[in-house]
Amino acid sequence: MMTKEQYIESLRKLNLNLWMFGKKIENPVDDPVIRPSLNSFAATYEAAEDPQYEDLMVATSHITGKKINRFTHMHQSTDDLIKKVKMQRMLGQKTAACFQRCVGMDAMNAVFSSTYEIDEACGTKYHENFVKFLTRVQEEDLAVDGAMTDVKGDRGLAPSKQADPDLFLHVVERTADGVYVTGAKAHQTGFVNSHEVLVMPTISMREGDEDYAISFAIPTDSEGITLIYGRQSCDTRKLEEYNDIDVGNKTYGGHEVLVIFDHVFVPNDRIFLNGEVAFAGMIVERFAGYHRQSYGGCKVGVGDVLIGATALAVEMAGCAKASHVKDKLIEMTHLNETLYACGIACSSQGAKTKAGNYLIDLLLANVCKQNVTRFPYDIARLAQDLAGGLMVTQPSEADYRNPQLKPYIEKYLKGVASVPTEDRMRVLRLIENLTMGTAAVGYLPESMHGAGSPQAQRIMIARQSNMAQKKQLAKAIARID
Amino acid sequence: MLHCTVKFCGGCNPRYDRGAAYRQICSQLDGVASFSYPEDGAQYDVLLILRGCTGCSYLYEDISAKHRIICTDQAEADGAAARIAALA
Repeated sequence: MMTKEQYIESLRKLNLNLWMFGKKIENPVDDPVIRPSLNSFAATYEAAEDPQYEDLMVATSHITGKKINRFTHMHQSTDDLIKKVKMQRMLGQKTAACFQRCVGMDAMNAVFSSTYEIDEACGTKYHENFVKFLTRVQEEDLAVDGAMTDVKGDRGLAPSKQADPDLFLHVVERTADGVYVTGAKAHQTGFVNSHEVLVMPTISMREGDEDYAISFAIPTDSEGITLIYGRQSCDTRKLEEYNDIDVGNKTYGGHEVLVIFDHVFVPNDRIFLNGEVAFAGMIVERFAGYHRQSYGGCKVGVGDVLIGATALAVEMAGCAKASHVKDKLIEMTHLNETLYACGIACSSQGAKTKAGNYLIDLLLANVCKQNVTRFPYDIARLAQDLAGGLMVTQPSEADYRNPQLKPYIEKYLKGVASVPTEDRMRVLRLIENLTMGTAAVGYLPESMHGAGSPQAQRIMIARQSNMAQKKQLAKAIARID
Repeated sequence: MLHCTVKFCGGCNPRYDRGAAYRQICSQLDGVASFSYPEDGAQYDVLLILRGCTGCSYLYEDISAKHRIICTDQAEADGAAARIAALA
């Protein structure tokens, strides 16, 4: 396995075509806007080195028998699925941000089982291709971005019916050695911190969409790939002279990028789906299921930090004993643990696929994610309620560092006398960061739309709900033939 | 000198600081027991299992040890050194 330091050095060797704020970024590793997201990703390597987290972070490869980072593991049991969720909660607690590596793990588990079944039905060799790729990922402990979401253009039209054919990533040229693809993937979490990208189709497809039914893996710095960094609320605070208190979370963060593929070559042995439209939906459904399970871990860990920050804020203000305050903290905990319960539940009810890895219970995973589209918002609302208005009206760190202003701020922003004013400011900025700042991207809208928007889960819940059996139950009780 | 090893279970939502507990136990047993992380094939006198909560049930049966001392909270961790010392 790679150490944290080896991982960071490996990123320096990537030649990414990355743009941010209108300029090409030559050194993303040391860029102050990007670095916190790298630190979060690196935490997945650092924790694997720590004996305290070995049980969660390290697994045994079913291919080589060697110790590997769990983020590259094919789940071999329901116990593995449970450990995955626990690992994600722990890392959410450590970073209070999106640590970005889950999407690749979920994509790899989905493509692993899907390619096996595609080969079985179609006589293709995709699983062999994928296992070769996976073995390298495990051996070299690579970071993999899972790229599913196309930009989609007119949502009412199939990929092949769009006015612009590139609005879904597709094959534009075929040669004896491979294919060339063009298109774009949106919202790509952690791409800048990844060595490889695993591309998957974004929706179920039908006859006529063959060029769009494509899955493959290539290096993130492949020729023809352009990355445009996603803007985040409050992101330029990281560039200010005083950038400690006001950023809320100085060490960790997350990122998304728009990834443009402009006539990018994919060699044959890196292709995992190529025109078999009937199986695009299988990859989508399984990836989405795994990723909806993931949110029952990672968001819970971030929620733990937000609940802790809120509890500190009320203590520092001297109102921790008020009954409504205690009740709101209980409510936040109840909501957070409900998410965790769903993550654990869909894991414990998982089942073995034909390929041998384990898939979560899809109904419970979708229920998990449906709750994730709501509860973090409720938790954030309660955090803002208890934090008070000072969270968004307190002076800047630059004012606080000004010798003329500091005495006033120290005096008038004081809560409980024994608590330093600066500590209070830091906690309030952390709550701001998580509910409105850079980390809110990961904690709120990502909870809403990541792994599929709420309606996507409702469709899956309807499909998995076993309504016919429920009606039979009612008929039996009502004594209807 | 007792030859001891340690396993940390979980860490997803620990109820106490397992790392601090481990350091304290090592310190309390200085001169009585030596601790190292598990190695394949090694035989230990004591396997100390520091669980973060009661939700973990692993006994790490692949690790060979004459005794297993299990802690699931701070109180048990506080008493662990005495339990190990009694085995010396």
